[in-house]
Amino acid sequence: MKIVIATTFTPFVKSGSTYIVNGLDQSLKQRGYDVETFHFPFSDRPDEVLQQATALRLIDLSQFGDRLIAIRTPSHLLKHPNKVVWLLHSDRDAHGGSDALEDEARRQALLSADNIGLRESSRVFCNSVAAKIRMRRHSLDAEVLYPPLLRYDQFHCDGYGDYLLYFSRLTRRKRQWLAIESLRYTKTPVSLVIAGASDPDGEPYVAELRNLIHHYQLNHRVTLLPGWVPDDRKLELFAGCLAGLCFPLDDDSYGYSSLEAHASHKAILTTTDAGGVRELIVDGLNGLVRAPDPPAIAEAMDFLYTNRPATQQMGAAGPPRMKELGMNWDHVVERLLS
Amino acid sequence: MNIAWFTPFSTKSAIGRCSAGIVEELSKLAQVDVFCFDSEETHSSNAPIRKFTSPSAVTEEILSQYDIVIYNFGNYLPFHRDIIEVSRRHPGIAILHDFVMHHLFAGYYLEHLKSEPLYIQAMERLYGRPGKRAALDSLSNAGPRVWETDAVVNYPMFELVTSTACGVITHSGFLKKHVEDSFAGPVRKISLPYTIDRQSQVMSRQELGLGEKDLLIVTVGHANRNKRITSVIEAIGQLDRSQNSIRYVIAGACAGDYRRDLKSMIAQNGLEGVVRIVGEVSDQELRSYLSHADICVNLRWPAIEGASASAIEEMLFGKPLIVGNVGFYAELPENSVVRIDPQSLEQLRDALGRLASNPEERARLGVAAREYAEREFRSDSYARQVIAFLREVQGARPLLDLTDKLARQLDQMGISRDMQIVDDLAGELDTLFGGGESIT
Amino acid sequence: MRIAVLNNCVPFLRGGAEHLADALTAKLQEYGHEAVLIRVPFRWDPPEKIIEHMLACRLLRLPNVERAIAIKFPAAYVPHPNKVLWLVHQFRQAYDFWGTEFQGLPDSVRGRQIRAAVIRADNHFFAEAKAIYTNSKVTGDRLRRFNGIDSEVLLPPLYDPVEVEQQECGDFILCLGRVNAAKRQHLVVKAMKHCKTEVKLIVAGRPESEADAVEIRNTIRKDNLAQSITFIDRFVSEKEKADLLRRCLAVAYIPYDEDSYGYVTLEGCLSKKAVITCIDSGGIDALVRHRETGFIVPPEPKVLADAMDSLYSDKPGAAAMGEAGFELARSLNINWDHVIETLTK
Repeated sequence: MKIVIATTFTPFVKSGSTYIVNGLDQSLKQRGYDVETFHFPFSDRPDEVLQQATALRLIDLSQFGDRLIAIRTPSHLLKHPNKVVWLLHSDRDAHGGSDALEDEARRQALLSADNIGLRESSRVFCNSVAAKIRMRRHSLDAEVLYPPLLRYDQFHCDGYGDYLLYFSRLTRRKRQWLAIESLRYTKTPVSLVIAGASDPDGEPYVAELRNLIHHYQLNHRVTLLPGWVPDDRKLELFAGCLAGLCFPLDDDSYGYSSLEAHASHKAILTTTDAGGVRELIVDGLNGLVRAPDPPAIAEAMDFLYTNRPATQQMGAAGPPRMKELGMNWDHVVERLLS
Repeated sequence: MNIAWFTPFSTKSAIGRCSAGIVEELSKLAQVDVFCFDSEETHSSNAPIRKFTSPSAVTEEILSQYDIVIYNFGNYLPFHRDIIEVSRRHPGIAILHDFVMHHLFAGYYLEHLKSEPLYIQAMERLYGRPGKRAALDSLSNAGPRVWETDAVVNYPMFELVTSTACGVITHSGFLKKHVEDSFAGPVRKISLPYTIDRQSQVMSRQELGLGEKDLLIVTVGHANRNKRITSVIEAIGQLDRSQNSIRYVIAGACAGDYRRDLKSMIAQNGLEGVVRIVGEVSDQELRSYLSHADICVNLRWPAIEGASASAIEEMLFGKPLIVGNVGFYAELPENSVVRIDPQSLEQLRDALGRLASNPEERARLGVAAREYAEREFRSDSYARQVIAFLREVQGARPLLDLTDKLARQLDQMGISRDMQIVDDLAGELDTLFGGGESIT
Repeated sequence: MRIAVLNNCVPFLRGGAEHLADALTAKLQEYGHEAVLIRVPFRWDPPEKIIEHMLACRLLRLPNVERAIAIKFPAAYVPHPNKVLWLVHQFRQAYDFWGTEFQGLPDSVRGRQIRAAVIRADNHFFAEAKAIYTNSKVTGDRLRRFNGIDSEVLLPPLYDPVEVEQQECGDFILCLGRVNAAKRQHLVVKAMKHCKTEVKLIVAGRPESEADAVEIRNTIRKDNLAQSITFIDRFVSEKEKADLLRRCLAVAYIPYDEDSYGYVTLEGCLSKKAVITCIDSGGIDALVRHRETGFIVPPEPKVLADAMDSLYSDKPGAAAMGEAGFELARSLNINWDHVIETLTK
């Protein structure tokens, strides 16, 4: 079977979807399929968005391959008689142009195109239950399909240290600041490692985090590692942590780092308002879920520190939980080709 | 919102008069600056008036300070030439006061630019081989010049101002339809506002040389062939004039050869003394005729205006009108004017006869006409609709820009408009971006 | 620099241009640039699709890219302020194939309009490039002839350097590369029966279709030459190829009318082997000088046989030709240093 995968990307900018596409490409080839993957360059400039969407509409893949898997909008505008779309959470807030009315008109035009692209697809997949519910409101039947962890086999467990690991892009939405605020209320010596790359204009947030740590005199308990973390270092950090933290504010996605923690047999501490992470973490099973309230979070942090057997057990429940949710390439491939 | 409003603003310009009223209302809703090129006396306005001596003085820098630029276009070269030149390099909204703009462009190419080839090229580009033929014939002395004949309505040339526009406002549904044939962007019909001067003194019938009991029939405005004045004269000639003393006054500039034709028709029908061609008169005199009129005849065939200021004026004066059932006039409410086939002498005669012998009918029509006009042709409602339209235009910009981009690329490939792929593309874009329903 | 290499793609089909694009991208990275290969699907049937894909390319954008290097129509149309072309192909159906059986486009009003559009677009959009290079003199000549556009030849190097160790002058002529009708390996096979010496032949390469393989096998059987001809009808590894090149007498590469000199030719020269090619093989003559570095002969079995025989009979002569071929390739500066430096300046 010949399969075409299509996605969009900004050249030289690493993005989650690019990795997933590469993972899918590899997984399909490993299973013996002929795969052709297209990464279409895509600029976010408001005045260029519609023309690029048009370009994708004009490119005709309908004679090629038995199936087209379109990942990341607006690649689902490509024409193909047997098209499936896997909607990964993308930043739907288009960057504002200079005029609100024009922006709105542009938004409407894109939504119209979205509509068409999705309804042409024989199947639509999304990466969270929240997204599925949203689509049902528009009478679109989407199936939840979680992107698997890449290089699952490289993650491992080296025991359970004393630090909680928050490994995520450093942006305000991810709320690393909440982790620091919560640490203040802990009674145990549990410590914190915050690691991740920041956005090109993200320096103010990083400074804010530093200030917080300093302000609360937590320098000896919080390690901040801003910037790109090389893979082997990342694996080490996960391998040695006590548990992982993941509580972005209302993010659709289950949190990629949650999977990385689970693959290292570590539990995840999250909050009730984190969004998609809630689909992965069941309180008491493979992690803890608390109100987004520093004292409550602190209490959970202390719990993890004090009750090592429980913490380990919840960590061990990670991989089965991932399997249950189909977070592996076997399941993904089977669904995308069904 | 910052608006640059380009208009002729001379007191001699009907469009100028209109603009003055509109700008006053528009200024209450947005920041408006009037841009004009007139050297003579202009209207006064509560909005700032920026006078320029030439189009080049209106720089991009100046225009970039405005959110939107609006251009008023009419078929009279001296008032609109400079405006056209600015609009060519800075796209904005076009307000079309006239349907036929051929006279203006013929003047522009032939008198102002002194270039016959450019005129021929424009005619060919817009209207194909027939256009080219008509242009060539007009320039050789092989036949009548197209702008002096009825055929001019087939070559209106308004496309030359709409092609660069980002939106078009017309004052009649009739013109809106025509524009939509060749313009892909937003078009809106807004009723032209009009006010009349009810304050100033009018001359008496006696001062106008009319008897108190005379049945005064009036046709005002530039005396053009398409106003069918010869037919009116002929119809009057067929009326039974034993009951009342009928007087028909034709007030407005009248070109030499047409005046001759009218005089000959008067003579043929023995109507010396009944029909009076008074030519161009003062504002006051014009108002006076209208004020005393018993019947106004306002025919057009073929229709070349976008809307009729004279008809609106007449309705505001509360007069019964006889109009041709075409163009703008066809849109006037049934019970407020008398509509006839402008080519039917019989219907004209019958209508005149009926109104002449029926004062109640005349009164009823007059009241209905005034009520309608006062409701419909208002500056404040015009201004509100302009603002609403601006929002529509801004909303249409992204897709219009996209169409432009595609057109430019296809152009560079030498793909002509008539190739199937152009239609297919247009259809595809429409379907793709036209829906607007939210999904994710 | 952040560089995007632009190429077309007909999904699941790979040819010389695809290998070049891959090689270029990899080499750019080797030389320290950030490089990404962007492939744009292309369809030309029905002909209207050509215009649609041209238009699509015009509407695409390359954010965060400092230089674009495009190698084919219409991927070369993607706008970028800092673009160079290393043209491997124009859309030949509109140019030298027009009026021949390979025309592809219908000779109707529609077809002619599309042809005109391609030519006009090439003229217009190629002019946007900061510099235009072609992979062969043939491509460059065509560009000048049909579009009046000047360009510079930049010969594509091999991806892997050839190990020039101790070369042997063996007994067999070597045919490498994809086996299909256009490459005409079958002609070399047919020539063998006319050989008067003991010269042998090895044809090593994946047949494009079963029919291509069958034709060669049938000839071998019919001419009873199983002893002299070895047909390795599969893809050969770099190691196998290097070994064959080292041991062969000479290389035979006789495709029909190819633009570029062909990697096989270059591999032969860099392995210090004489090269046999044909007068109608196209751009091969950039790398082969008749009777100096090999033979350029008519595509006739008897003549080909003569060439093979004369090499077999004069091994020192063959070796000398090989040396001369090596020097010729070197003098043409066919290497990645030169290419990368040129395309990134």
